[in-house]
Amino acid sequence: MALGKRLSRVFVRIVTIICGTVLLGCGTDDASDEGLRTIKIGAIFDLTGATSDVGVDYADGVRGYVDWVNAQGGIAGHTIDLFYQDYAYQVDRAEQLYSQFVQEGAVVFMGWGTGDTEALRLRITEDQIPFSSASLSHVLGDAVESPYNFLVATTYSDQFKIVLRWISEDYQARGGTGAPQVALMHNASPFGMSPWVYGGEAYAAEIGVVVTRYEMSRGATDFTAEFTRIRQAGAEYVVFQNTSAPVSVAIRSARSLGIDATFVCLNWCANALLMRLVGEDAEGLVGAMPYAPLTADVPGVQPLRDYLEERGESYTERTNAYTQGWYTFSIFAEGLRRVIDAGQDLTGHNIKIALESIRDLDMAGVTIPITFTATDHRGSKGLRLFQVENGTWTPLTDFLTAP
Amino acid sequence: MDTFLQLTVSGLSTGMIYALAAVGFVVIYKASDVINFAQGDLLLFGTYLIFFSIVQLNLPWTVGIMLTLLIAVAMGLLIERVVLRPLIGEPIISMIMVTIGLSSVLRALANALWGPQPRTFPSFLPDGVISIGTAVVGFDRVLAIPLGLALLVLLGFFFRRTRDGIAMRAIADDQQAALSMGISIPRVFAIAWALAAVTAAIGGMMLGNIVGVSQSVAAIGLRVFPVVILGGLDSIGGAVLGGVIIGLLEVYTGGYIGHGLNLIVPYFVLIIMLMVRPYGLFGKPIIERV
Amino acid sequence: MTMECGVFHTTYTSDIALRRVPAERLRLGLFVIVVITFPFLASPYWLNLANQIAIATVGAIGLNILVGYTGQISLGQGAFMAVGAYTAGLLTLNFGLPWGASIVFACLVTSAIGTFFGMPSLRLKGLYLAIATLAAQEIIEWVITHWTGVTGGTEALVVPAPQLFGVRMNTDFRFYWLVVILASATALFTANLFRSRIGRAFLAVRDQDVAASVIGVNVFRYKLLAFATSSFFVGLAGALIAYYRNIVSWERFTLETSLFYLAMIIVGGLGSIRGSFFGAALITLLPALITNAGRMLQDSAPAIASQLPNIQQASFGLIIILFLVFEPKGLSKLWQNVKDYFYVWPFAYRRGEGRH
Repeated sequence: MALGKRLSRVFVRIVTIICGTVLLGCGTDDASDEGLRTIKIGAIFDLTGATSDVGVDYADGVRGYVDWVNAQGGIAGHTIDLFYQDYAYQVDRAEQLYSQFVQEGAVVFMGWGTGDTEALRLRITEDQIPFSSASLSHVLGDAVESPYNFLVATTYSDQFKIVLRWISEDYQARGGTGAPQVALMHNASPFGMSPWVYGGEAYAAEIGVVVTRYEMSRGATDFTAEFTRIRQAGAEYVVFQNTSAPVSVAIRSARSLGIDATFVCLNWCANALLMRLVGEDAEGLVGAMPYAPLTADVPGVQPLRDYLEERGESYTERTNAYTQGWYTFSIFAEGLRRVIDAGQDLTGHNIKIALESIRDLDMAGVTIPITFTATDHRGSKGLRLFQVENGTWTPLTDFLTAP
Repeated sequence: MDTFLQLTVSGLSTGMIYALAAVGFVVIYKASDVINFAQGDLLLFGTYLIFFSIVQLNLPWTVGIMLTLLIAVAMGLLIERVVLRPLIGEPIISMIMVTIGLSSVLRALANALWGPQPRTFPSFLPDGVISIGTAVVGFDRVLAIPLGLALLVLLGFFFRRTRDGIAMRAIADDQQAALSMGISIPRVFAIAWALAAVTAAIGGMMLGNIVGVSQSVAAIGLRVFPVVILGGLDSIGGAVLGGVIIGLLEVYTGGYIGHGLNLIVPYFVLIIMLMVRPYGLFGKPIIERV
Repeated sequence: MTMECGVFHTTYTSDIALRRVPAERLRLGLFVIVVITFPFLASPYWLNLANQIAIATVGAIGLNILVGYTGQISLGQGAFMAVGAYTAGLLTLNFGLPWGASIVFACLVTSAIGTFFGMPSLRLKGLYLAIATLAAQEIIEWVITHWTGVTGGTEALVVPAPQLFGVRMNTDFRFYWLVVILASATALFTANLFRSRIGRAFLAVRDQDVAASVIGVNVFRYKLLAFATSSFFVGLAGALIAYYRNIVSWERFTLETSLFYLAMIIVGGLGSIRGSFFGAALITLLPALITNAGRMLQDSAPAIASQLPNIQQASFGLIIILFLVFEPKGLSKLWQNVKDYFYVWPFAYRRGEGRH
């Protein structure tokens, strides 16, 4: 096997060269030198993994904001240096990247999913790195358990409670008698169970709404079985806690079965993507949106639209994950600004204190004003309900806050 | 009774979709004894290719389907030549791992070419539902049934009556004897992979209609294992029957029991089959025993 | 296996020694020195990686015992590690067991479960066994996520860091020593296992199980023993992850994990301990290498940098394919080639070997 032997040698040489250059290349940037005028932020995004359908928009939103704010002179004269990588929703890689970026001097870390946020929770507390996650599980906002985690959008359980209250009111307004029957169809994961487990169940019992849970298995092509049971139970409302792709399959299943319920989506499926996937069947769909979509008529989306248009991109194709990414970073930017203005050092601890001093930060209509306290890191407890009318998401209610 | 009918009809159509996915798998195994872990990704490519032809290139759907099938054939041939041919004769673990590696590469390629956002394409199958008694099922799903049966008949004919099909069975039976009869093994392998890619493309087209064009199509690939073990790794009829049985089982479990058990029931069936009758309902009983 | 020139063994002990030649002992000594001095010189990032590699080595050696040495294919690695991790975590959380006892129990429980899922090997070989283990992976994953009473379902478990002589092992530096000692113990145990009668029985089962049964090896019993031993170490790896990361969640132990470990031993070399280590190192470092390469290219070739996530994903598959096509025996064979090169240098080949 002469070819094999020769190739092995070539292979070994190539590998040695690559390792050599890489070893020389990394591990040498430390937090010193330019630290005065740049702020290093680490971020991980899901660009190719299981949640990449919304992960890409979120990532673009975050990067869009950084680009935009740098173009305007940065935050109080400091430019933002964003280190980011795709981690494909793999927790091990998230941990590796976290170590790497923190070692390179990142003072704030932008996380993404439940898996990585959970996994890094203890380490960010030890390393004192404020952490933002796009995962909105209630427990992540508990400042006592996770003092460095900050949630900038309504938690899943708060979303669910708001939706339940709306359902209860809508049911009575329609003349329904007795307790409204609701089906909660959710992803088979902590993300999926979160609305129920962290207060949804208790609240439903409190206001007299009957909720039955249905798990949506991964890779399912058909939800006939679930909908048959839903129809038998007489549920008139179906709430979805999942991402757009599986929900689109479910909605199509339901429509072809002739199910006549009102469909309500929580934030990860209430977006333009779902509308595109489902097409006409989306009419009448209700969505809980903590962050307004780019097509909404609020002043806050204007800078985003302008930014996208400048780069020749259409903003109608972007989901509200883009808005969320953009504004998530802007909130952290506010924390950074406060630290710099107070003349303090940009350490994780100071940034945390600064963030906790944020009260009723105006979000220009994109979401309700954000408040953090030393004990509560859930910045927003409100959202607007939108409904699909004639192919666009139109506002159904004003801002509702969680009970 | 209504529920039962509805569930049965859905189960049949879902089962047929599994069968479509499984048939390509069986073809490859029948010809070359290779377990193709990348079958789900071939399905994925089928879905994206039809999207590419119909939406991105704006071709009429008949031309689009032809183009998809042609590209699928080319892909199958390329994969066989580049990845599988050097591994002829290697132990089975190498074969399995190489298809796993291939799966990873294909997925990354699909992502690079089309991005991770799910897409849709205008349905080239008529919309609407069919009513069978009180049961309703989407027309695009129910189409899987005649399509699956047609494939079964066509492939059965291929394996029984055409030269290449018989050559394939000969190789699966005894490679040495086949070689001594002048059968070209590389050519037959190439045909097998091309065929598998084509069936995957057809399956992918159906799936694209039903679940949309997204990475989740590849997840069907894992469901294929219980189906082919149940039906027999080298039997196409078995794949179809296996698919139907698994589809029905899943739907009945979901409809009557719930609790997410419908995910796991196929694997229980798999284990039971493996313990009781490893070569499946219709496979050839040449499993090596200890 | 090469014949060493001028080395004569006069006792059985020196003949079956793990390191028979002074050169080999020297290399081992150098390696030990590197391993001992590494944590004092390395940055936290590299320590983190080293710990990950060490844990992966334990898991890879465990898997290699089953797949490389006994020839039984297993796709259930992720699930077995999950069993180890959850057992260790739950024992510490709910029963307050000291971590040492928890780890031992976790290994034993995993061993038992591994043996149970190894029972199909009585009647199945090769690919059918692989599929049976795939079913095991999915079933165990389902049980973990749905047995909410015991495992907390899909919620993550928080496990406190182990305490050794009153020192909490919650930094990379401290954990390094624990992991390295355990990894070395695993390697030593395995090396000795394959010098012993039981190990030879495993090898016999891999190579020619019919012939083995003819000479009196109880094939089924040894297969089960292989599953048990392998699962023991895989459980150890799982338990170590639980203590290292302090957070146990099922998302870490999916089918993808099983495939990663299989990749490690294929790329490293089946049936080789150093192969397990090399494979573990390469597969763990690969994403980091690509990340850094991508960042260096960011300015010079932004087009490539933007496709980096896809390149990362493809690289995993590519490296498996490349190794399987060009060097099926993996990195350990490459290492052997390097050693041989230096052994005969400045000649190209030994007399009597010929160009081949």
